[in-house]
Amino acid sequence: MNDIIFTDKQSPASITGQTISKTNCPYCGVGCGIEATVENNKVIAVKGNVEHPANLGRLCVKGSSLHETQGLQNRILHPRVKGKNVSWDKATSTIADHFKATIAQYGPDSVAFYLSGQLLTEDYYVANKLMKGFIGSGNVDTNSRLCMASATAAHKRAFGEDVVAGCYDDLSSAEAIFIIGANPAYAHPIVYQRMIKAREENPARKIVVIDPRRTASAKDADLHLAIKPGSDAYFYNGLLIYLAEQGKLDKDYIAKHCHGFEQALETAKSQFSDISDVAIACDIELSLLLESYQIFAETDKVVTFFSQGINQSSSGVDKANAIINCHLATGKIGREGAGAFSITGQPNAMGGREVGGLSTQLAAHLHFENSNEIDLVKRFWQAPNIATKPGLKAVDMFDEVNSGKIKAIWIMATNPVVSMPNANLVKRALEKCPMVVVSECYENTDTINYADVVLPASTWGEKQGSVTNSDRTISVHQSMIKAPGEAKNDWQIITDVAHKLGFKDAFNYQHAVDIFREHAALSGFENSHPLAEKKAEKDIYRVFDISALANISQSDYENFIPTKWPINVANPNGVQRIFTDGVFATKNQKANFIPIIAQLPKILPDKTQVVMNSGRIRDQWHTMSRTGRVAKLMTHSDEPYIAVNPDDAQRFQLADKQLAVLSNLSADYIGRVNITNEQRTGEIFVPIHWNDNFSASARVSALVNPITDELCGQPELKHSPVRIKPFNAVWSGYLISSQTVNCPTSYWSKIQLEQGHKYLLSDKQKLGDDETILANIYPQIDDWIVLKDAQQNVLRIAGFIDNKLHCFFAASTDLNLKFNSRYIEGQLNKALPIKTRFALMSGIDSNGKGDVGDMICSCFQVGEKTIQEAIKSGQCKSVASLGEKLQCGTNCGSCIPELKTFFT
Amino acid sequence: MSTFANYITLKYVSSTMANTESPTADMLRNKHCESITQIKPSLVIIGNGMATGRLLDEIIKRTPNKYQITVIGKENFGSYNRIMLSAVLAGDATIDSIMQKPPAWYKQHNINFLSGSEVTYIDNKAKVASLASKVQIHYDELIIATGSRTAKIPAKNQNIAGIFNFRDIADTEKIQAFAKQTSTSAKQAIVIGGGLLGLEAAYGLALSGVEVTLVHRNKWLLNRQLDKVAGVMLQSIMEQKNIKFALGHEVAAFESITEPNVDMKSAASSEILSGVTLTNGEFISAQMAVIATGITPNKALAETSNIDFNRAILVNDYMQTSDASISALGECCEHKQATFGLVDPIWAQCISLAERLCNNVQKPFQNAPVPTKLKVSGVQLFSAGDVEVSEGSECFTLLDNKALIYRKIMVKSGKISGIVLFGDVSSGMAYFELMQQQIIVNTMMPELLIGDEFVTTIEDEQKVSIA
Repeated sequence: MNDIIFTDKQSPASITGQTISKTNCPYCGVGCGIEATVENNKVIAVKGNVEHPANLGRLCVKGSSLHETQGLQNRILHPRVKGKNVSWDKATSTIADHFKATIAQYGPDSVAFYLSGQLLTEDYYVANKLMKGFIGSGNVDTNSRLCMASATAAHKRAFGEDVVAGCYDDLSSAEAIFIIGANPAYAHPIVYQRMIKAREENPARKIVVIDPRRTASAKDADLHLAIKPGSDAYFYNGLLIYLAEQGKLDKDYIAKHCHGFEQALETAKSQFSDISDVAIACDIELSLLLESYQIFAETDKVVTFFSQGINQSSSGVDKANAIINCHLATGKIGREGAGAFSITGQPNAMGGREVGGLSTQLAAHLHFENSNEIDLVKRFWQAPNIATKPGLKAVDMFDEVNSGKIKAIWIMATNPVVSMPNANLVKRALEKCPMVVVSECYENTDTINYADVVLPASTWGEKQGSVTNSDRTISVHQSMIKAPGEAKNDWQIITDVAHKLGFKDAFNYQHAVDIFREHAALSGFENSHPLAEKKAEKDIYRVFDISALANISQSDYENFIPTKWPINVANPNGVQRIFTDGVFATKNQKANFIPIIAQLPKILPDKTQVVMNSGRIRDQWHTMSRTGRVAKLMTHSDEPYIAVNPDDAQRFQLADKQLAVLSNLSADYIGRVNITNEQRTGEIFVPIHWNDNFSASARVSALVNPITDELCGQPELKHSPVRIKPFNAVWSGYLISSQTVNCPTSYWSKIQLEQGHKYLLSDKQKLGDDETILANIYPQIDDWIVLKDAQQNVLRIAGFIDNKLHCFFAASTDLNLKFNSRYIEGQLNKALPIKTRFALMSGIDSNGKGDVGDMICSCFQVGEKTIQEAIKSGQCKSVASLGEKLQCGTNCGSCIPELKTFFT
Repeated sequence: MSTFANYITLKYVSSTMANTESPTADMLRNKHCESITQIKPSLVIIGNGMATGRLLDEIIKRTPNKYQITVIGKENFGSYNRIMLSAVLAGDATIDSIMQKPPAWYKQHNINFLSGSEVTYIDNKAKVASLASKVQIHYDELIIATGSRTAKIPAKNQNIAGIFNFRDIADTEKIQAFAKQTSTSAKQAIVIGGGLLGLEAAYGLALSGVEVTLVHRNKWLLNRQLDKVAGVMLQSIMEQKNIKFALGHEVAAFESITEPNVDMKSAASSEILSGVTLTNGEFISAQMAVIATGITPNKALAETSNIDFNRAILVNDYMQTSDASISALGECCEHKQATFGLVDPIWAQCISLAERLCNNVQKPFQNAPVPTKLKVSGVQLFSAGDVEVSEGSECFTLLDNKALIYRKIMVKSGKISGIVLFGDVSSGMAYFELMQQQIIVNTMMPELLIGDEFVTTIEDEQKVSIA
């Protein structure tokens, strides 16, 4: 092997002995600090870092399980070209040669990079520099396009720069929090716990949730407004009118620090003759609407906390601006406990935005619109071939791959075959694209199936680099363990290819800190505050300035204390809040009111359709390549599902806990029906996580129309009219297996267990002969126990290898039967006494202790029945006492809303 | 008349039993005195098998002195446990150990016991039973408990030396003697019949070192008690015990050779068994054959007397034959088209009959299903009720081919209609009770199939099943 994969420098953690490293969680945009204990090249434990400002020591269930995501299962260990293992040299040459030839023949815009908010800032920086600076195309986009593009554009419009002005501490000090288009109880549990704790300390604090769904966050709110999907801008425009009518405007602030208020108000008014029209537009009771408006108007410190429900929309930028308008109009911004707080989905969406990860940005918060900004970057990079116009945004990028205009694409750390709208088009596009390069850690992603070149990347715990969380806090991830096989850090891989493309001098990085220093230097390059005394003519002001770190030592970098940018001469220790002085990053230093014509989603359902909303569930992350490996994270919700209102269930003849099929764009989604009043009539909800590696037909995005916001290119992922019908299974069951298997059934869903996997199964076709059902899947097994009745109302089959339970299949034509396999799961791979092993077929141990009911607390594995017993026994009379006795709810707190329901 | 008859009988006893410990003098005196002072009704029991043994117990328990009881038995033994003969054959038990009622017991209970005697004719008008010796015995109540004999098979040449039945102590001793005799030269035996008796005989012979082939006309063993799956499992276990099987065919003919050096004292013919030819033409070499194809009720007395019979002697719910003074019991009787081969229903017959005779209580006999067990060590099987699924019934099975465990429960109208257990019979009796009590079990399925203890753990209102 020509390439040395790891040097001690790249992997500084000691290989033996126990060490503790301060690092960060790689999941959501909260960006929690972690203390990881490493032993024998393995992270053996994680806990929250009490010193990290994001989480102050707490971790959610996903973060708490990070060390369990390790291991070689599904890891990619070697570079591959066309399915064959090759050397790194061969792999990078293949890429470089192909990209060079393509660019030579078709120009730089015939190639593209598609990046990810999972990448560290240094990786992002190098990729962006290579494409925009040296290949000379703007075609670098990122999955942040699906997540943050609306907020980014809205910030730019309102503030002149993509800046989140506030910080997490504001969530503790706010007197009212409006959560709109977000379900932080599930998606951002640690900041959500902050809000809840603050309200517990002062019950006068209010939490208002505006969401079509009655989410876990909504259940715990003081006020929940289940507005019509997509009517968010109507709500905030209505609020603006209300504030004006009620005399609740901060006229001083508007006059001093803002621009365009009158036009914004007039535009808002143009859609409504009266506030009651707002209630109609939002489809909520007027009294509720007014109650919420009154809270906003009469509370001094208000934070609007928003996320994908606002962003993932054909008018997401406008929605975000409608929110910002109201905060500007009341001066509820740029001060403690007040502001419009956009929270990102991913751990480093902000870092990506800082380096120009989006095709519409250049780098360091500089843009293509102004030739001076292009020139600034060109000079700094010494990049004569720099791109001069924005590249293609994600949806357009894959359209062009499909049309053949883009002939080579390099996808890093993301899974677009699962996550992109109209995902089957993405699949087809990649199928025909002459060169698809995929940098990945895991084999079990759907996208990897379409790669010509697969590059093994390092992952959490292995790679070092910085991230920026949703409140501008920069933290550094630590390399604590050696990556397996030949896996490399993304920046190294990109650098290797850059060298082979002939850009050795510009990509002369030995360590992540080299990149970080350059990035920090660029942020301060010709950057001065508009009111600064020393100010050069050509200076272009950016709030994003971390130039104080341009000469950071490697040691300081590796021990970096989390700090909120800007970090510059004026603010060497960072800045808690921005725009506190009312000076914005616009030319006139005033914030812009943006006149908003509120719009509903572009495609509305016809009579045969329902509106499909999509989102995260509590214990899974993205496309599950990591969280899907952790058994306990599967216990809360283990199967793709469809939340349906009872009226719709009746209308479409759907039965609770039975499967249903959603259809759109010639794609299907099969999920388990969950009939609930949490959904509005005509609207369903599906989780985004499942994909072809985990279920038969559960790539939600394949059903999402490729409708985007014209301003920012973000797709309307939250609003897809789809058809819904019963799956009409004739049997259902499950298979517990030591090995992964290809299920021959039209429905299956895979669940990771402590040992092996569980597959939930159903089919529209009758079960075959019980002798052959499993024999085809496990040709190596000849030791079976079969329990059945003649009608296959009951069928259970256990297969053994060397007397150890290898697989267990249970099925029934009684679709209403509730399955509980926990006892059997525990017996997998165990040697069982031959004369009594048939008792296994009962599914319970003879003491009847096998069944703890549905899992409520994933952290401590506390089941429903255990909780019910504790309550029944009189020992537990509150959520707190349940926690004392059973520990449930005392770690991540995500299950507390559910624990509360036991007492109501 | 009755006094006279008694006298005649007893006199006969005194003469025929001269060589045994003689009860004659005492009995004569007692009976004679009784006949003078107070004449008890005479209860005569023909046959001295297990049914009679149990009936005597039931009678003595109720009214030890109501009847003057006479027992007439063909074998020269008291009552013994016939079921244990296979254990005797296997060497696990001795003849002595299976004796339940030695002759002294009869004496002790004041019962006239005529061993080695056979009744040939019943004059039910005169209420007299005639012995082969022409001696006549008066009865007030007569009980026929003549049992059964080995069913005949249609094979040719059944008179060759070395062909045995397996019904009584004499058969057992003959088989044992032959097995010992042949053990030095050839030691091959054919056992004909794959029912309980045949299997037990085969097992017993195999244990004594004989190479056994069991011939059974059905395709699997115990086909009345087991379905094919269990029958095949049983076969594989028996094969491990060195028994070979020829299934699906009958013996067409016994084959013989002339033995030049045969001991003329012990063998009536010089033709001795060399093997059997099956109906498919296959020849199996053997020096001994045991016929255990099933039983034929001994109904000859009914045929020669004026008593209704069918396959066996017909009885009503109170064990009465067509003659109200004559009852029948055990393997020789037929009740509602059923004949009997297992002890459990016969015990119930004994109780019904004893209640009527002793207490004048009409306690109808009910022929409840009886579980089957096989007395072969290492083989656990349990069967009751239906063996094969019938129209309209559900059938739950559990099969572990490696552990050789098989469970099958048939459910009809929600109730158990049949049980077949093999390899593990731990819940057999629990199932049997559920079947007898006609408990609705369909909500307990399939957990019940795995064991009754698995039902109790999930009887909560919210039944959570694994499938």
